[in-house]
Amino acid sequence: MTKPKVAIYDFTDCEGCEVKLVSLRERLLLLENKIDIVNWRLGQERFDAGPYDVTIIEGTPITDYEVDLLKDLRKNSKVLIALGACAALAGVPGIMPEKDRKFWYEKIYTAQYRPRGVDAVPLSAYVPIDFAIHGCPVDEDEVVKAMEELLSGKTPTYSGNSTCFDCKQAGNKCRIRDEEKPCLGPITQAGCKAICVTGGSPCYGCFGIRKEANISALIKKLKTITDEKTIERYLTMFHSRTKEVNDGKK
Amino acid sequence: MLVINENKIADFLKALEKEYKVYDNRQHPPYGGLTAKKYFFPPVEETFVSEKKGSLKTTKFAEKFVVFGLSIPQLEALTYLDEIMTKPAEDFFYWQRRGNSIVVGLIKEEPDALPGGDIVFVDLGDGNFKILKNTEKGEELIKKYKSYFAEVADAPSKVTDPGMSEWSKTMRDILLDAELLANAVEWSKNHKIWEEMATTCLGCGVCTYVCPICHCFSVEDKIDLTGKCSRCRKWDACTLPDFAKIAGGHDFRPTIKERYYNWFYHKFVRGYKEYGKPQCVGCGHCKKYCPASIDILEILKTILGDYKKSQIQI
Ligand code: SF4
Ligand code: SF4
Repeated sequence: MTKPKVAIYDFTDCEGCEVKLVSLRERLLLLENKIDIVNWRLGQERFDAGPYDVTIIEGTPITDYEVDLLKDLRKNSKVLIALGACAALAGVPGIMPEKDRKFWYEKIYTAQYRPRGVDAVPLSAYVPIDFAIHGCPVDEDEVVKAMEELLSGKTPTYSGNSTCFDCKQAGNKCRIRDEEKPCLGPITQAGCKAICVTGGSPCYGCFGIRKEANISALIKKLKTITDEKTIERYLTMFHSRTKEVNDGKK
Repeated sequence: MLVINENKIADFLKALEKEYKVYDNRQHPPYGGLTAKKYFFPPVEETFVSEKKGSLKTTKFAEKFVVFGLSIPQLEALTYLDEIMTKPAEDFFYWQRRGNSIVVGLIKEEPDALPGGDIVFVDLGDGNFKILKNTEKGEELIKKYKSYFAEVADAPSKVTDPGMSEWSKTMRDILLDAELLANAVEWSKNHKIWEEMATTCLGCGVCTYVCPICHCFSVEDKIDLTGKCSRCRKWDACTLPDFAKIAGGHDFRPTIKERYYNWFYHKFVRGYKEYGKPQCVGCGHCKKYCPASIDILEILKTILGDYKKSQIQI
């Protein structure tokens, strides 16, 4: 059997998710027995042109060039995977609303600055994607799981469990219940092993909104423990561009 | 009667560690609310493995362990879970852990009948705990570690507060009339309270995870990067989105309203029909850990009240 050809591309982001790919270590070697990574700017010196069987994209396009490249990659790939919060959700680059941009450009770069960038939005705003491996950064086990599923001929699936499933197993106190502090765990997809809550931070939902999450019910609950501005801050950390979240706020 | 002094309990557990893994549930909850259920029925558990064509291995679990410090509701829940995992068919994976374990209860009031466990320590309020043996396994363990126990003259307990919350007491009262409860919950299917739950319940699954009796799971297969195939089972919950979905994508309960009602239906109606008792012991965990602060006792009170009224009108 010929090995599937895999390309790994990155747009604007911190490259942390690709570092996570490298930190698969032995498992990356195992993976390389099964796939042929034919193009990976960060990881190797081989840059074959498409078409590819699978293209993994990290980051979000913020120039016209990157947007065109994304569209080309879609055309040239059987399976397109978004890797990490920037690609899947627009992530940190997407925090700033378009209307506030001008103000900050002027403040940071002065009025002479001529911006070339386009608004940061998820990859799915430009092209259909087949699967998103969520996280900021992604979790190694989730990457391996998606690869295992693809290699065994399955369509990768999203977990129906919430972050609370991981959080309970980690033995944490519940922020919402025991500490009256906000948390997006109940509407967020499981898989991160609740590292943020375990480390003392809230869950901001980087693992993606869980399917069929009751976002408006969580907002209703959060309103009993904090103010609207704080809730907005939580919901826009990763999800200012997420349709379900914006609908849930209504 | 046989007793153990409170100062000896730590030494006893330490001594057990030579032979067993010891889970001390008195420290509960540092586990975020997960009960002893997780030792016998872990959140994620591998069940079968196949490393090469034609070979299929059942995943064995051989570790011997002791679970110490369960309260009366927790012991009752485990007894019920044992029954569920036995009827209609014995659950191999549950019993290979359960069979390897010794469960020690720690309670504050001597019950008329033992609620479960292999051994039960009853607090006498004078620094001593009376030892009640429930099974042969328990009996043998006490014999083997007899130096930690002492024979003293019978004396009444000095404990005045059995340490059960008002919530639990009220809930347990309601649970006594299992038939009424089953009828009321079945009747309530179209009650407006479930609409209210649809906008309150986050569908997060926590209530099920922290319930000592909830036992639904889903099954997942995978082929890993070395080619090893394995099957695992993972806790599922009626409030989660995939619970009632089947191949082809049909969902028998597409809304939170239906999912949440199903949780009640299974606990109070099906539990009664299949086992003659509700699948709830009134421990209060679901209320304590629900991020949306949903209180099942309040819901049951509303339903029972309206059900009784509806019966009078007829
Ligand atoms: S802290 Fe957050 S993730 Fe953890 S159980 Fe509570 S709501 Fe869920
Ligand atoms: S813990 Fe509360 S919010 Fe979560 S599923 Fe159960 S009832 Fe709903």
